Amino acid sequence: MKELSEPPSNGASLEHAARTWTFGPLGSASRALFRQVFQEERFFLLLSVFIGILSALSVVCFRFAIDWSRIYLLGSETNASPLRLILAPTLTGLVIAALVIHVFPLSRGSGVNQTKAALYIYNGYIPFRTAIGKFITASLAIGSGHSLGPEDPSLQIGAGLASALGRRLHLSRDRMRLIAPVGAAAGLAAAFNAPISAVLFVIEEVIGRWSAGILGSVVLSAVSSVVVMRWFLGSESLFRVPAVGLVRPAELIAYIALGIIGGLASSVFSRGIVALRPRLKALPHWTQYFQPAAAGLVIGLIGVLGFPQVMGAGYEFMDQAIHGQFTWQFLGMLAGLKIVATLASFVSGTPGGMFAPTLFIGAMLGAAVGGVEHIFFANLSGSTATYALVGMGVLFAGFLRAPMTSVFMVLEVSGNYSIILPVIVANTFAYVISRSLQPTPIFDVLTRQDGLDLPSMEEEREAGILRVEDAMKPAKDPVLSSDQPVSQAAQLAEHAALENLLVRVKPAGWGIITKQELNTMVKEGKGDLSLGSVIRGHVGYLHPDYQLDAALRYVNRWPLVPVVSRANFQQLEGVITQQDVLERYRAVSEM
Amino acid sequence: MADNGDQSLKWYSTREPVILLVLTTLTVLFFLAVSALSRIYHAQQEARGESWYQRGIADRQAGNLDRAISEFQAAELYSRGNFLYQLSLAETLAERGKIDEAYSYFSNLRERQPDNGTVSLGLARILAKKGDTNQAIRYYHNAIYSVWDSDPDQHRRAVRFELVDFLLRNNAKNQAESELIALAGNLPNDPALRTHVGDLFLEAQDYQHALEEFRDALRVDHHDAAALAGAGRAAYELAAYPSAKHYLQGAVAANPDDSASADLLKTVSLVLETDPFRRQLSASQRDRAVIDAFNAAGERLKDCPLPVTTTAQRSSTPTAEPPLDARWKAMKPQVTLQRLRHDPDFVNDAMDLVFTIEQQTSAQCGAPTGKDLALLLVSKLHEGSER
Repeated sequence: MKELSEPPSNGASLEHAARTWTFGPLGSASRALFRQVFQEERFFLLLSVFIGILSALSVVCFRFAIDWSRIYLLGSETNASPLRLILAPTLTGLVIAALVIHVFPLSRGSGVNQTKAALYIYNGYIPFRTAIGKFITASLAIGSGHSLGPEDPSLQIGAGLASALGRRLHLSRDRMRLIAPVGAAAGLAAAFNAPISAVLFVIEEVIGRWSAGILGSVVLSAVSSVVVMRWFLGSESLFRVPAVGLVRPAELIAYIALGIIGGLASSVFSRGIVALRPRLKALPHWTQYFQPAAAGLVIGLIGVLGFPQVMGAGYEFMDQAIHGQFTWQFLGMLAGLKIVATLASFVSGTPGGMFAPTLFIGAMLGAAVGGVEHIFFANLSGSTATYALVGMGVLFAGFLRAPMTSVFMVLEVSGNYSIILPVIVANTFAYVISRSLQPTPIFDVLTRQDGLDLPSMEEEREAGILRVEDAMKPAKDPVLSSDQPVSQAAQLAEHAALENLLVRVKPAGWGIITKQELNTMVKEGKGDLSLGSVIRGHVGYLHPDYQLDAALRYVNRWPLVPVVSRANFQQLEGVITQQDVLERYRAVSEM
Repeated sequence: MADNGDQSLKWYSTREPVILLVLTTLTVLFFLAVSALSRIYHAQQEARGESWYQRGIADRQAGNLDRAISEFQAAELYSRGNFLYQLSLAETLAERGKIDEAYSYFSNLRERQPDNGTVSLGLARILAKKGDTNQAIRYYHNAIYSVWDSDPDQHRRAVRFELVDFLLRNNAKNQAESELIALAGNLPNDPALRTHVGDLFLEAQDYQHALEEFRDALRVDHHDAAALAGAGRAAYELAAYPSAKHYLQGAVAANPDDSASADLLKTVSLVLETDPFRRQLSASQRDRAVIDAFNAAGERLKDCPLPVTTTAQRSSTPTAEPPLDARWKAMKPQVTLQRLRHDPDFVNDAMDLVFTIEQQTSAQCGAPTGKDLALLLVSKLHEGSER
């Protein structure tokens, strides 16, 4: 965004140039641009706070709407009647289908990919109608017992609100692209009561890069959102877990087992979605009116068969699992049936999120594994609560493939930092196993199924970065010195292979001169002059760890660019030319 | 780009204050609207929570624990984090026998309110049920020194009583005794409480303290049947038979249905009757008592024959005395009023044999009853003393 008016000169590196750049020949226009950028940046930060507050207020309303839907559709008791358990999700499914098909066509799915698409495809554009649609349809779906969660819709509601605001305020295209993730972070932070996880998730999965400008806005919106949310809904963490410590390091083996099981379960879950979603989408269009209802019927039947816990987001039951209220057999059943119920809800196109079901499956699986391990190893110090919490992180890492977020999410939703070690260990195993069994992350699969090609954050993270050191060559020709006489330099140049020769300019710079220039000067009788007095321009230099992309700017300008040590700018590590860079890129593309 | 920038700059510079004002107004209005909505929502949630809580209380009292648990969970759902609801849920889970679940809730509650006596007591009870004696005692102590909302003294006393019960059940009599001493030091002048503490001292086999507690109770109410019975029992255990008789007579008079005291009174009376070394007895009464005791010992030997030592055993221990039945038979003709009157030392010899017979038959055939029990007690009373 901040373009340099002049490429780095006077032997300065990019960093140096960035510190010393001037407005250049454009003068007043550049100054105006600078002021605009500065003013818009400041305004954007302020706007982030407003987005945070407004998103949180929307999410609070969303939570109320879900609760009211649940109470009016399923009743206020924890054990609804069988008739209600079947009718509520089924009939609501019909209503939701009609709304999604006729009124809010973009409100299908979880909302994460839509926000990502807004960033990468639609220049930050998310129709406000979609946010409203998400609010209405997701609250009805979750309230009626569909196995979906409120977090991803909250993320999209925040993003939609932010996008609408940005459009009204005529933000520049760059800012517009960023405003949706800012709103997304606010929405997610409010839904989870977890600002760090929200910021991490948006950076890790939506934006994919860290930069001070983005981070500042995202953090501000997330923090202001959580403050407002806590104002209305209290500051208690999502789950209450007694502190637990790892007594013996050997106990980590138990958590590794949980990580492995969680990784396998994640794979089953994502493979189910990958396999079923396109099949259901391929069915005749009229079936889409009935798919959410059919999913509701399946879920209702599961509820009637004695497992109403799988209905809705299920946070209260996660809390009960954490407090050891279920046997390990029942927990295992709940984990399996939740996968079935969530598959049914999600692949049918019912709007709602995947975060809560993922946490639910993880909590049940974790508590079940903990229960089994306690039977065989009674002296393990980890409580059911610890296993359940670690299980949540495991599924989050394995299914959603956001390893950093998964760790902080567990810490934040439990308010308990004593389990960080088991969480890290188990999540790592789950992540690695899930990756090996299902190489493409679920969000990327979903975007590809929808015909979009959004950048995969995981693939980007894993992609190798080419650096200058990968393309540079050792300097074979002699390096001249600025205090050498031209005649001496010309003699040295005679044995050089290349036409261009590097000149070490004292005290800390580099120049370039050709053999022909040297010979001409000797012929013109300038042989006694020092090289420093005759070289016309200075050349920029690179360091070996620079990304190769950055070198392109240099090699386009100078035929030969010195690569120097970061500790001593006069110490030559190698040289690089445009051809070296292109050869390197060609070699990589052919691999 | 520069043109765009200039336009954008102009747009912002002219409108920023207005934009901020509009945004602020919008936010404030939205905030107020959500506040109103939130009040309605929370009022409804609280009402629902309270309604489910009341149903839970009613079902818990009616013994429908499973339903009560479900109702408390519903109450908790609508009033998340409500301490009282969670506490009721935890207590009901514990009552229902779902120890692990209850423990998890109690632990959580303790994290929230580490000084809450009810929570510490709940944890102590659960750990007691789990058999974790040390941790249970720790939490009982926590409960004793915790904060109680109402009537803290009474709560602390009740917890200490429970702790003493727990210690006695676990045969930790010394610990129980020290808890009882601490408890007794802070008791109000309530005969019922004193009597209860006295009973616990009796269980802890600290008869002296027990007797003191019963006496304290009797100072307030001379006719307290339970205190009289307890004092009688404590005096009996202390071998203070005249006192025991006095208290037990009072106990039986105050409560004729108290068969335990009546039985004990009989034993005590027999002890006093059969003891030939009582000071109040005349020489002839003493001699008759000795003859009665000797005959009773003989009867006891018939009922409980002691194993006969073999000839080989006897030859291996040349100094060993002959069997008790032989000694009794040998002494029997000499135990006459005349001999006893003229030979006071013979009284001791005869009674020594009686005591030996009672002790050995008791070891062989179990605790005696009636006169034999009385003689056994008399033997213990005079054990090692100058008669």
